Amino acid sequence: MSSSLHLLADIRQSSERRPFSVLQLAEPLLNTNSVSATDDAYLVYEQVFISAIDERQIELAKALLLLLRKRFPASLRVKRLYGMINEAVGHPDEAQSIYTEMLATDPTNVLASKRLIALLKAAGHTEEAVAQLAAYLDTHSNDFEAWLELAHLYMRNHRLAQAAFCLEEVILQQPANHYFHLCYAELCYSMGRLDLALKEYLRVVELSTDNLRAFYGVKLVADRIRELRARSKKDPALCIDDAPQPATLDRLAQLATERLVAIYSRANQVTKTTAELWLSS
Amino acid sequence: MNSLAESTDQVMFLDPAIRNWVLFPITVIMVLVGVFRHQLTILMTGEPPKPDIKDIRQGKALMRGQMLAQSNSYIPAAAFAERRQYLCHAYEQGTYLKNKASKEQSAVNLMADPKNMEVMMDGMKKQMMGIVPQTLIMGWIQFFFSGFILIKLPFPLGLRFKQMLQSGIMTPNMDVRWVSSLSWYFINLFGLRGVFSLILGGENSADGIRDMTAMGTMGAMGQQPGQPQDFNKQFLSLKDSLSIIHHEWDLANIEQRVLVKYGKQSRVFTSAAK
Repeated sequence: MSSSLHLLADIRQSSERRPFSVLQLAEPLLNTNSVSATDDAYLVYEQVFISAIDERQIELAKALLLLLRKRFPASLRVKRLYGMINEAVGHPDEAQSIYTEMLATDPTNVLASKRLIALLKAAGHTEEAVAQLAAYLDTHSNDFEAWLELAHLYMRNHRLAQAAFCLEEVILQQPANHYFHLCYAELCYSMGRLDLALKEYLRVVELSTDNLRAFYGVKLVADRIRELRARSKKDPALCIDDAPQPATLDRLAQLATERLVAIYSRANQVTKTTAELWLSS
Repeated sequence: MNSLAESTDQVMFLDPAIRNWVLFPITVIMVLVGVFRHQLTILMTGEPPKPDIKDIRQGKALMRGQMLAQSNSYIPAAAFAERRQYLCHAYEQGTYLKNKASKEQSAVNLMADPKNMEVMMDGMKKQMMGIVPQTLIMGWIQFFFSGFILIKLPFPLGLRFKQMLQSGIMTPNMDVRWVSSLSWYFINLFGLRGVFSLILGGENSADGIRDMTAMGTMGAMGQQPGQPQDFNKQFLSLKDSLSIIHHEWDLANIEQRVLVKYGKQSRVFTSAAK
């Protein structure tokens, strides 16, 4: 039993979203009522509540919510859960009114702000979600996850330049995380800023050895730059001014090909042959 | 050599009643008072003041500028330039300030802010909780347990300590190692920190040393650190430090670094032959 509690605590700590595992771990605990005595009881209830509404077990969620409300009647944290269950059963307007009410009482409440934005996003009102998120970020400008979310929202609407701005904010706050550089590189490639894309892909490869996606990026961008240089007419949408010299470019492309072959040598036969076909073309 | 050392070592026999009725009681009393103080502090400490949304915005805007200054080399030059321009302009205009109108007289009204008062009162209360028991115990020890030797220190000390540690006893020849009960109090003050962190957990309010440092800084403290910071000044100084940053892009020689990393080249050429 205590090992289940430990596992649940670990999942809480890592903020992973694993509703099935959480429910599996928690069902026996809740059925034998052995959670209520522990210190973490209400944390577990909240965690199981969120997993229950993820898995559409609304009755269980309602029961847990009643328990939580009995213990913490005036809590904003519990009120947010009311909003979430309204969202889950398909009453977005009620949920929205709950969240706006929470924000009216306490404008600094991060939970309510984020749930409101998530609600708008899920309902498809991307513009409103963007506006709310931008307002949130005006106050809490060091929340890099929010910047990341805004970047994704912009990318949904193909506003790539704005998304690039958001990703730059994320990189400013987390410069050593290779995944953000990778997102930024791919975005730059999509925007046509090929020189910057190449440099960012190389940064990913430096931070994370043998990163498959990044090496693909290096190879594709290098080939594209070479192709563009060979053309006489310059395409104004594509930016290759800052790209390295042809000699360096060749070496980088060759390195990328070699590393890709090395990575695929560990894969199964079908993948290997497909990759080799593509690489040699 | 050995016999010489032994002959200068004074040997005195102390009444075991001293050990039973002074040594242990002082320690026990100090432990109990410490625990009591800790619990009382928990009861008395109000909730930390909830920050206003404008305060948060102000603080985070400052952090954003600091982060830009710190990590500026990881974003391209154009990105850095546009951010620098925007932030410097904003700081100068006071866009992020809580009370934009009182930009000039921000230092004056810091005392009047009711929230700050609460924070300062809390701080004062905490300090009283620290000082009063200490003073009381010291007075109690001086009153009841003065005029006799309690313990012998295992290490030798200079003669200057004689006056402090043997305060009640006027003997010119007695070794400084024999000390009175007040010094036992001081030994306990420093030593019981370990015991308290075992009983009360890491962050406890029964710390003697923290009180002493608090007493020392109280006189020098003009204003409570943290709350009534002058944001306008901080914004302006951050603006200055941002404007003199020379941006050096970390990715300028990334091609060479990658080639070196994967063994295609032996060393990065500093003249950056691209």
